[in-house]
Amino acid sequence: MLIMRHELLLVAILVILLLVEIFLPEKHKHRIIPLAIILMGVVTALGFIPGPTGSLFGGMYSTSNLVLIMKNILNIGTLVIFIQSAEWLKKDENREKISEYFIVLLSSLIGMFYMISSGDFLMFYLGLELATIPVAAAAAFERFKEKSAEAGVKLIFMSALSSGILLYGISMIYGTIGTMYFQDVAPKFTGSSLQVIAFIFFFAGMAFKISLVPFHLWAADVYEGAPINVTSYLSVVSKGAAVFILMILLYTVFTKIALMWRDVVYIIAILTMTVGNLFAMRQRNIKRFLAFSSISQAGFILLGIIGQSQLGMTTVIYFVLIYLFSNLGAFGVATAISNKTGKETIDDYDGFYRTNPLLSLAMMLSLFSLAGIPPLAGFFGKFFLFTAAAKQGLFILIVIAVLNTIISLYYYLLVIKAMFLNKSDQPIAYFKSDFYTRLGLLICSAGIIIIGFASPIYEWILQLSHGLIY
Amino acid sequence: MSAESLILFFIVGAFLVGVAVLFSSYVPPKSSNPQKFEPYECGIPTEGLTWLQFNVGYYMFSIIYLVFDVETIFLFPWAEVMKETGMRGFIEIVIFFFILGVGLLYAWKKGALKWE
Repeated sequence: MLIMRHELLLVAILVILLLVEIFLPEKHKHRIIPLAIILMGVVTALGFIPGPTGSLFGGMYSTSNLVLIMKNILNIGTLVIFIQSAEWLKKDENREKISEYFIVLLSSLIGMFYMISSGDFLMFYLGLELATIPVAAAAAFERFKEKSAEAGVKLIFMSALSSGILLYGISMIYGTIGTMYFQDVAPKFTGSSLQVIAFIFFFAGMAFKISLVPFHLWAADVYEGAPINVTSYLSVVSKGAAVFILMILLYTVFTKIALMWRDVVYIIAILTMTVGNLFAMRQRNIKRFLAFSSISQAGFILLGIIGQSQLGMTTVIYFVLIYLFSNLGAFGVATAISNKTGKETIDDYDGFYRTNPLLSLAMMLSLFSLAGIPPLAGFFGKFFLFTAAAKQGLFILIVIAVLNTIISLYYYLLVIKAMFLNKSDQPIAYFKSDFYTRLGLLICSAGIIIIGFASPIYEWILQLSHGLIY
Repeated sequence: MSAESLILFFIVGAFLVGVAVLFSSYVPPKSSNPQKFEPYECGIPTEGLTWLQFNVGYYMFSIIYLVFDVETIFLFPWAEVMKETGMRGFIEIVIFFFILGVGLLYAWKKGALKWE
């Protein structure tokens, strides 16, 4: 029971929210928002309490301390997204489906947890589907808006396609080895031709989920159409979970063909960083802009995965934690502006600093952190990723990554320039953001500033990452 | 790892599919009449547009049916081993029923059981 506590707690609050939705009278529906946030906060806090780890169901489910950190990170991300969604959910058109929003995201989070701590390809696949399908429902949340419905349909089709490819890969793995358990597959996965095809299919399926180039084309449309909070969920929590499980599988299951997958990851990392950056430069819509920026960030994450060492694993988790706060900070400001004014293009941000200085500062912090400017956390995250790659002697890759960082600085600064320097005849008028928006941005800004300096967090992850490679 | 067999795999795969498609487009005798391009409707000439709206009310029932379906699937194995699992198994199945029951209640509350 206690080994599965993260999942069980989430199931518990999911059932509580359902019961509240059933028995709460219609006029008190808005009370569900604080209730859900508080419950999620409690679950997030409880998740940090150390407890037993191990495996259940004959090895189909297994956790280690490192997996628990990943789950806690995802919990924090979901909590911040819940806080940021509050203002949007209070709108009249969303009133009657407040609890559904939370339930859908929570069930997807449960799926991710099962996916991360799976010990078996079947369990992994079940978790993956449970993680993907509810998000498609969430993307189509504003179903009377054409773009939102389109985003939902696109997401469900793309994930069906990628799941199909991934399943084909898994079936080949089963065909060549005759078992689905990670521990039994690992020693026998030696790289015969069919296993190579299996790996390529499997990797392509996962690359769809993380939106790596050349499987990234769905991302921009879905990110633009979905409600902005769902977009931030997709770009932070979904992507984080998929990166985690890909890393775990590459390190534990595909160890014997490490030389091969390193080349694959190497090329895809370069492609993802460069293409993501080049496309991000051209975007005028802030959601599309953040979508491509998150694609290129995923390329940087691959740099840590390629390190294939304890250091690499630690840096990836550390970077995802930082990326979570930075990206959610940027999305938080974009959400606040979109909620109050409905404006979503970068040109609308002209002169934003004069009218709303605090929000502009929060946005600046997040974008600087995403770009990797010291002394913010994003710099340390990227620096450690480069270190992990340098340990493997991949200097050409690092040079390309540094060049990409400089390119990315250009377009992050474009947004900041729009807010701080550009003058506009009709800037966005001053508005007072509500308590939830402020709380969300405060958490993100604090995270961005503190995590960079708090070496205990890094040391803690490093110390726990001994356990994973078995 | 032998790259030759990989390449062979793809060549043979593409070849087989290509041959099947080409074969079926060249070999059979061809005859064309306007009826061939209409949707098949039991042999009767089609009437009106195919873009008709029709009632999708049944999908709700099939989803709710799933609740009972899953319930039954899990009930049988539990009944089989009820004596061995004892109290613990009983409590677990009760929790399971509780969650399914909440789902049904939710559907009821949202008016999914009404036929409109």
